[in-house]
Amino acid sequence: MTRSLTQEVAVIGVSCTKFGENFDQSLQEMMVEAGTAACQDAGISVDDVQAAWLGTFSPGFGGGKATITLSDALKMRGRPITRVENYCATGTDAFRNAAAAVAAGKYEIVMVLGAEKLRDRAVRGLQREGIHPYLEAGSTAPGLFALFANRYIHTFGMDRRILAKVAVKNHANGALNPKAHFQTKVTEEQVLKAPVIAYPFGLFDCCPTTDGAAAAILCRADMASKFRKELILLRGSGLAVMSGKPFLDPTVDYLGFPSTQAAAQQAYRQAGISDPVKELDFCEVHDCFTWTEITNYEDLGFCNKGEGAKFIEEGRSSLTGDVPFNPSGGLKSFGHPVGATGVRMIYEIVTQLRGEAGARQVKDAKVGLAHNLGGPGAVACVVILGREA
Amino acid sequence: MKGIVAHAVRLPAYSVSRDEIARAWQTSSPGGQKRCVRFDEDSLTLAATAAQDCLSSLGSSSVGGLLFASTTAPHLERLNASLIAAVCDFPETCVTMDFASSLRSATSGLQTALSLIEGRQGESLFVCAADTREAEPNSGEEMLFGDAGAAVAVGNQNVIAELVSAATVYDDFLDTVRRDRDEFITSFASKFSTDRGYLAPMQSAIQSALKQGSLTAQQVSKAALTSPDKRSHLQLAKKLGLAENQVQDILFNDVGLTGAAMPLVLLSVALESAQSGDIILVAAYGNGADALVFRVTDSIRKYKSSVAISRQAARVLYASYTQYRKARDYFRHADNGLEISNVLYAKEEHQNIRLHGSECSHCGTRQFPVTQVCVSCKRADQLREVALGRTGTVFTFAQDELYPSPFPPTLMAVVDLNGGGRIYCELVDCSPSDVRIGMPVDLMFRKIKEGGGLYHYYWKCCPGRGL
Repeated sequence: MTRSLTQEVAVIGVSCTKFGENFDQSLQEMMVEAGTAACQDAGISVDDVQAAWLGTFSPGFGGGKATITLSDALKMRGRPITRVENYCATGTDAFRNAAAAVAAGKYEIVMVLGAEKLRDRAVRGLQREGIHPYLEAGSTAPGLFALFANRYIHTFGMDRRILAKVAVKNHANGALNPKAHFQTKVTEEQVLKAPVIAYPFGLFDCCPTTDGAAAAILCRADMASKFRKELILLRGSGLAVMSGKPFLDPTVDYLGFPSTQAAAQQAYRQAGISDPVKELDFCEVHDCFTWTEITNYEDLGFCNKGEGAKFIEEGRSSLTGDVPFNPSGGLKSFGHPVGATGVRMIYEIVTQLRGEAGARQVKDAKVGLAHNLGGPGAVACVVILGREA
Repeated sequence: MKGIVAHAVRLPAYSVSRDEIARAWQTSSPGGQKRCVRFDEDSLTLAATAAQDCLSSLGSSSVGGLLFASTTAPHLERLNASLIAAVCDFPETCVTMDFASSLRSATSGLQTALSLIEGRQGESLFVCAADTREAEPNSGEEMLFGDAGAAVAVGNQNVIAELVSAATVYDDFLDTVRRDRDEFITSFASKFSTDRGYLAPMQSAIQSALKQGSLTAQQVSKAALTSPDKRSHLQLAKKLGLAENQVQDILFNDVGLTGAAMPLVLLSVALESAQSGDIILVAAYGNGADALVFRVTDSIRKYKSSVAISRQAARVLYASYTQYRKARDYFRHADNGLEISNVLYAKEEHQNIRLHGSECSHCGTRQFPVTQVCVSCKRADQLREVALGRTGTVFTFAQDELYPSPFPPTLMAVVDLNGGGRIYCELVDCSPSDVRIGMPVDLMFRKIKEGGGLYHYYWKCCPGRGL
């Protein structure tokens, strides 16, 4: 019998740097900003952190590929630090591992920190390191997701206007978020007229590459009241790994992401959720491309396969809908500094649950879900947090 | 009986009009178009495709060798024939040889193969040839040179054209020269060159071959004669006493002068319409000349050509001279940085070059790449390596504007191979508006990148040619 993490881990501090083109900040400077702010938010000092999990995807100048990056940044010496890299789901997986260590009773207070500096590069788009020189030759992130979107459209039919609605919604939410990479509204027409990157994705259907860092402080649930008046607990989490090369797997149907479905089922089971539409108040999901958010509605169980278009058309995922998706603006507007993204989702969920999200505040936010996807469905991580009454 | 058992021509899908070249340089045009490779093709990929097409026409026979002829082989040191043999998945005991340096290297290769086949009962030997000669911009050759590949398999069973006779002459004559350090040829084109470098050796070799076969020029059904220009082969025919209808069209208007590939291209085209009993002459010049005479047998009636030349019309006509140059030079002027180890190359040769995958003996699932645990039933001890099919259908695709290319979008396809297995590769020789889920495709061996002092080749696919 596996031990449930439910009710055992609290999130007592969160922080996030401004996401964007942080040309005046190094990777380590962003780590310092996020790490110290999260400690402040929890009312602790860096010395109180007993162990840390660092989420980074793509080491650039100034490190990132090893735990020493965090130790050197915060001078967090003589303690365990573990680096997590799990494609674009790096941040939530770092959180999941940290939470497991607290739930297991190994540590009382831990830090999760995700950081990435993607704008300090010579190439366009997301640098993809370590890919097979032949089997994956010619692939780019938008190209890989377009393989899915094209097959999905071939099967279910879908207008590009539906995809544009995702961009319009998430830009509108991002416009209310002072930390977002993009804080500008866009119109459906602008989205549809933008240069095509990989059909059906135009420029506005793709999330940007971004610099940023985010951090969270976790502690044993029974200690949380020492640090914060509100109690935010981890209700459930799940991680599912599929193939990194779905394009070679003859069993893949290209209509969605089984990794998301499996990770959600794990988290729902743990949190005791049987009807996500009724039991979840909002979601921060991985909208690396607009179509990804459409399939997320389906894979997370908010509607049936093929009905994602209807879900957004009816406005159900808008900020004022019955289940707002990406009130923060999502990857689309908040930006996507890979290793930081998942931790940034935790930041947004906690901010919403505390009722501190300002203009983008979701009404009566009590339970929120974070969904992080890595690769074209290679890895998915789902985390559910709730505010105790 | 020994002779030709299969043949194939491979013309590039791209072409440029000679009027466009003339417009760019303000010169006059001889008319027509020439075929040209894209940056991801070279003489090796053209020859490899021709050899595979040739293989598809051949019934079952064990392959004993692959000979490759070109003046523009991509490797000066590394056996091109061995790589082509691996692409064709021929056995390691194959004879592999490169023939180089001469426009008659293919006919020399053909003569060699016909000698080697003696005593190899039931085997076939492949001779493939291709050229992608670079002509100096704004030169006469730029109007003439076209790119193509061809392959001929010889054997001693089910022979469709029996060898009657062959002859050769050599002459160290200064005609066209390209030294080890030269990018373009030095040409001594003149009436003297035509007389001494072309007409004289061709006449000598052809007459000698006909005499050996106790044949007269009048008995020749089709003469596949290479030529240094648009019309000298007709002058040669006249000297030999051949009427114009006995002379194979040299494809000048559609393809151009295809260098070392030309004799095999013309031979293959001549065989496409040959009848039982026909006498086919093939001759090529280049520091001398080779001539071979074949008699078409009854087996031609049962022979099915793989992709006839009539089905290889150019799919893309470059809109301008600059488009043509851009397409041709894209890889030549930039090392785009792919470095791999020879460890990886050796370890994965069966998978990446021979296109082997795995088949699960428990559930029957075929999968790519070679793997240890079945993707379907997850068993770890039931997989065996198998050669995968080289045709398939597009399961899904992407039109990627982000991937660096001189002509975006780059088309990428997930292809379900006929017989099982799924591969992800570029779709080439296809207009973006023509891509469809479910469209049939053929796999083709192409260049994917350069870097680390190497050309990197892998599989791509093109619209299905109905193999």
